[in-house]
Amino acid sequence: MTETKLTARNVDVYYGPKKAIDNVSIDIDNGIVTAFIGPSGCGKSTFLRSLNRMNDTIADARVTGEILLDGEDIYAASMDPVALRARVGMVFQKPNPFPKSIYENVAYGPRIHGLAASKADMDAIVESALTKAGLWEEVKDRLSDAGTALSGGQQQRLCIARAIAVSPEVILMDEPCSALDPIATAKIEELIDELKENYAIVIVTHSMQQAARVSQRTAFFHLGNLVEYGETSEIFTNPREVKTKDYITGRYG
Amino acid sequence: MTNPHWQSDAAAKRISRRNAAERRFKLLGLGAIVLSLSFLALLLFIMLKNGLGGLDWSFLSGTDSTDPDTAGVWGATKGSLLTMFVTLLLSFPMGVLAAIYLEEFAPKNRWIDLVEVSINNLAAVPSIIFGLLGLAVFINTLDMPRSSPLVGGLTLALMTMPVIVISGRNAIKAVPPSIRDAALAVGASKVQTVFHHVLPLALPGILTGTIIGMARALGETAPLLMIGMRAFVVTPPGGVTDPSSVLPMQIFLWSDEIDTGFVQNTSAAIIVLLVFLLAMNGLAIYLRNKFEVRW
Amino acid sequence: MILTGVFLAVIGLGLVGWFAARARARLLYTGRGSMHSMPNYHGWHMALWIIVPALIAWAAWSAIMPGLVDSVVMADPAAASLPPDAMHRDAIMAEARTLAANPNAPVFNAEAQTIAEPLRAAQTRYGLIGALIIAIVAFAGGAFGFTRIRPDFRARTHVERAVLGLLLLASLMAILTTFGIVASLLFEAGMFFKDVSPIAFLTGTHWSPGNAIGTDIDDNFGAVPLFWGTIYIGAIIAMIVAIPLGLMSAIFLTQYASHRVRRWVKPILEILAGIPTVVYGYFAALTVAPIIRDFGATLGMANPSTESALAAGLVMGVMIIPFVSSMADDALAAVPRSMSDGSLALGATRSETIKKVLLPAALPGIVAGVMLAISRAIGETMIVVMAAGAAARLSANPFASMTTVTYQIVQMLTGDQEFNSPKTLSAFALGLVLFIVTLVLNIIALRVVKKFREAYD
Repeated sequence: MTETKLTARNVDVYYGPKKAIDNVSIDIDNGIVTAFIGPSGCGKSTFLRSLNRMNDTIADARVTGEILLDGEDIYAASMDPVALRARVGMVFQKPNPFPKSIYENVAYGPRIHGLAASKADMDAIVESALTKAGLWEEVKDRLSDAGTALSGGQQQRLCIARAIAVSPEVILMDEPCSALDPIATAKIEELIDELKENYAIVIVTHSMQQAARVSQRTAFFHLGNLVEYGETSEIFTNPREVKTKDYITGRYG
Repeated sequence: MTNPHWQSDAAAKRISRRNAAERRFKLLGLGAIVLSLSFLALLLFIMLKNGLGGLDWSFLSGTDSTDPDTAGVWGATKGSLLTMFVTLLLSFPMGVLAAIYLEEFAPKNRWIDLVEVSINNLAAVPSIIFGLLGLAVFINTLDMPRSSPLVGGLTLALMTMPVIVISGRNAIKAVPPSIRDAALAVGASKVQTVFHHVLPLALPGILTGTIIGMARALGETAPLLMIGMRAFVVTPPGGVTDPSSVLPMQIFLWSDEIDTGFVQNTSAAIIVLLVFLLAMNGLAIYLRNKFEVRW
Repeated sequence: MILTGVFLAVIGLGLVGWFAARARARLLYTGRGSMHSMPNYHGWHMALWIIVPALIAWAAWSAIMPGLVDSVVMADPAAASLPPDAMHRDAIMAEARTLAANPNAPVFNAEAQTIAEPLRAAQTRYGLIGALIIAIVAFAGGAFGFTRIRPDFRARTHVERAVLGLLLLASLMAILTTFGIVASLLFEAGMFFKDVSPIAFLTGTHWSPGNAIGTDIDDNFGAVPLFWGTIYIGAIIAMIVAIPLGLMSAIFLTQYASHRVRRWVKPILEILAGIPTVVYGYFAALTVAPIIRDFGATLGMANPSTESALAAGLVMGVMIIPFVSSMADDALAAVPRSMSDGSLALGATRSETIKKVLLPAALPGIVAGVMLAISRAIGETMIVVMAAGAAARLSANPFASMTTVTYQIVQMLTGDQEFNSPKTLSAFALGLVLFIVTLVLNIIALRVVKKFREAYD
């Protein structure tokens, strides 16, 4: 049985005067993968970035409505974005390891949040995060090499390890495979499947095959609106909305 | 389930400590800006306070004198204008032509690399070195008249040219290749393409860079000190070969006077110089805003 | 005088040639495809043939004519009364030249009066000969150009080739200037090092060129105190002011300030960089130096001087702030946004992101910017001339007056020394050192910046 982790109620997102997300309400559950699909520019990434307040970093972005994490309003004054982002991790479209060693990339988050009491603690966190990200075997002998020296797929798994290292509850993934080749993509998808046990995972993708492969629920966005949301199998075999059907059958996109 | 770590007191304390550090850091940045700007404000305030009283018509139209009450800046201003005229006449065409060559025609080889390295370095060579060059070449070797706007202008032109080349190249680079393709496709030669299409589009950018370079030259003192433009000139120079002074040099000479009356004169001359510079920079900003095209 | 007129005449003739050739080419034009080049290009082609050879002749004649005139004047009976001493004679000749141009000019040597007349006559004669030669060259060039106007003549190709030559020539000016700097510094410094050993110059600690006479000359040209003063003021005190203020300003403007604030504050900050150095120098001498002297006195300093390393260094630092700030701004902007996004998404605060991710990533660019700033500070002249002082001393006391390389260059070359004494020549040796040091700093910094930009492209 799943429980609701994140709830959005009547969320609008504006960039300056332009409305990018219009009245979206959605429940995102723990222990499964939720996919956001839709044509480019439909607002799926914008909405994703409002779930951990990364939109705060864009000068004239504004979010209205309510987003609840375990029932707590994440836009409330009492919610600190720093703590929020530790709980809601994010993986980006292009792998963005810091120009530091592999070890330092993973240790960065735990260090700023004070999660490790000792060097041994930190070593354990780094090893566990890299193991969960399926990267430990490949890099355990060269932890002091630059993270930027890894291959694209390895870099992205390093970024996932970096997010896992602070023990988040939710992981947001913004088209995490769009810069990767098919083999690296398969590895990441496999990883997402393993990770879903312990986290609520939200993945934005422009590939319907990917959504069908990795997700249990799918939300279809179009022009800033949430058109349809349901079980992935339902959406792909028996969509209720004409727009959804047109999109997944490739009429536009 | 919510990770219990974030509900702990320790975590809350740590977060509030980190947020305090964040606020301190931001305040530090703001402080740096405010401090820098207050230096500027203090400098301007002192110059205005000391100098405004001395700004009148007799000061603007007078020439240098040993008596602070009758001394004026017209002689030095005219010297500056003549010097700038020579500088512009030489550095603008040279700079623009060099920029065109390097951006549009230059082959990739070691000579051109050497030209590029020279230009980038010349733009950062201390101005006093140009003064030494002017002294050794124009005065000692070519026997040109000492203290004259001609030599001053030539020296400053060598200094200004790299600035014009660099800004010119950036302006030319900003013209999109599609314009060149369009011109070449209707049968224009490469030279025609550049002079009929690329250059006119790049001109506002080139002019902006030129004005900024000229403003820098107008404020220069050190190289002119080397070529002896510190003459005590009672009659304004009549031509580019007459001995002359320039505005910044007049400021320097007056600042050395013991008579306290010259404090007012020095500050007033600084105001005059700053007004010139402000006008030039204003013109450059106007040009940039008016003609800037976003491709 | 005559030659100036000839110059204008050549340009005028070129203009006439342009119109003539264009008119001729128009007559030949019978319709589309009848000619290779448009009439205008025939005009340019002819104008170039008139002007370029004639101006080469003009330049050559301008260069040799003074020598010819001088030798004629020297041979004149009126020159027999001139003193044999070469320097004295040159002074008289110079005065005579002024007299020839302007009969009412004041004279100090009576002999100048006597040779002014033959001088003028010789100038006129050789001027006319030159004008004749130049005219022949111009007309010959024009005639050649005119005969080539034919429908199938590729005038445009020829003109464009000339234009390219002109462009190339202009870009070679940069090399020529660099070469001129290096050659003149090396030559004059070489003369200096004939008298003073380079080792004594670079390692000696006693600088008092005024005392330099006879055999102890080496002992008075030890430039180490100058180098120290330059580094202390430009690379230490100024940077202690400029680096934190410039860097923090850049961080605030790029990371915290709203778009509106940034649009206003950045140009205002850049005004600081546009203020002439002589104004800073005056500000340092008039306002900052007395404050620092009084401050030194309250600290218990015995006779603090008005001129101090601290006053010059502080003001220089303020001048450099916008420079450091804009270099840091560029370096921070070059770090991809995804870097800071990655850090913020992990729950790092802004300042943690800046300190632990952005600054380390931007470090090469910032270091290069600081190197350029140092190069600028040590070459800065007016502030130190007006506020630092003339005393060459090896001291770490910021309240002491201290001298720099640039100050001494100015000191050695202003005033009335004869030109070839070691004292004046030492300015070029100092200039050479300054040039080499700034050159090395600039080259390294520009390399680092380039590499740094490529890394994030």
